[in-house]
Amino acid sequence: MSGPLSRAAVVFSLLTAMPGIAHAGDPAAGKSVFQSTCSICHSVQPGQNKIGPTLFGVVGRKTGSVPGYTYSPPNTAANLTWDAATLDKYLEAPRAMIPGTKMTYGGQKDAAKRADLIAYLATLK
Amino acid sequence: MHPRSSTLLASLALAAAAWSLSPGIAVSQTAPAAVAHPIPQSLRLEHEDTAERLGRLAKRPGEVGVEARKALELFRRHAAREEEYIMPPLTLLPLLADGKVTPDMEWAVAMSDRVRADREVIFQEHTQVTDVLNRLVVAAIRAHDKDATDFAQAAATDSLNDLEVLEPTVLLIGDYLRAKLPAAH
Repeated sequence: MSGPLSRAAVVFSLLTAMPGIAHAGDPAAGKSVFQSTCSICHSVQPGQNKIGPTLFGVVGRKTGSVPGYTYSPPNTAANLTWDAATLDKYLEAPRAMIPGTKMTYGGQKDAAKRADLIAYLATLK
Repeated sequence: MHPRSSTLLASLALAAAAWSLSPGIAVSQTAPAAVAHPIPQSLRLEHEDTAERLGRLAKRPGEVGVEARKALELFRRHAAREEEYIMPPLTLLPLLADGKVTPDMEWAVAMSDRVRADREVIFQEHTQVTDVLNRLVVAAIRAHDKDATDFAQAAATDSLNDLEVLEPTVLLIGDYLRAKLPAAH
């Protein structure tokens, strides 16, 4: 899945599956959020793990599942699938959702920015 | 900023080895008393190097300088905490790896307990450090400042190293000493 229409379809389906999230995420705005808050630790290139695992293909994959990345035990054990709802909850307060995660990110409290970020992550296919 | 992973991983392995051999380790009564609690020299040099590099970046014009000054302030606060009670127990690792445990090491148990009690506070400090380093990277990329970009990336890696290796090692040292030191525990 690589064309713009496919990506748009993914973003649309994610947003419609996000109860309680009123803001329609803007991938372009989300890319900006990503760069200013996530990029020091995460690559968006496939197979390129940095301080955190690559976020290429993050939507739809299981927690703790990127090959070649050493996760914290709680993240490995979380047994969640990263979809719009789980990402929204995690990005708001990572340690509240997965206590003991080593992701040094305090969380994005702005729901609109989270929706933008998730919309951007959904394009990383 | 120098990578410290290999050094600390080796130290952790030594601590683990000492733990596994613990039944055969006698508690020595002859080691010299510790009157002060410095940090390992390698980590002291790292702190000095980080402060020096950040100090230079803080003098740059524009956003790189602005973010570097914020990073420097956070670094000083975090380094003070590390030097006060997180890093000093690590000086004991060579002795522990040699199977030597003495009553005058008890100070490290108190420090280790403090690290455990403050773990969430320390973690939150790391989130602040990561956040400001991310902003420094963004500013550095805009300014085509490779030196600042490289520094921030290395510093963020070191921050993770603290969480993955350094702090758990200190907790392990505390647990090990508590198990090996006599009666008081």
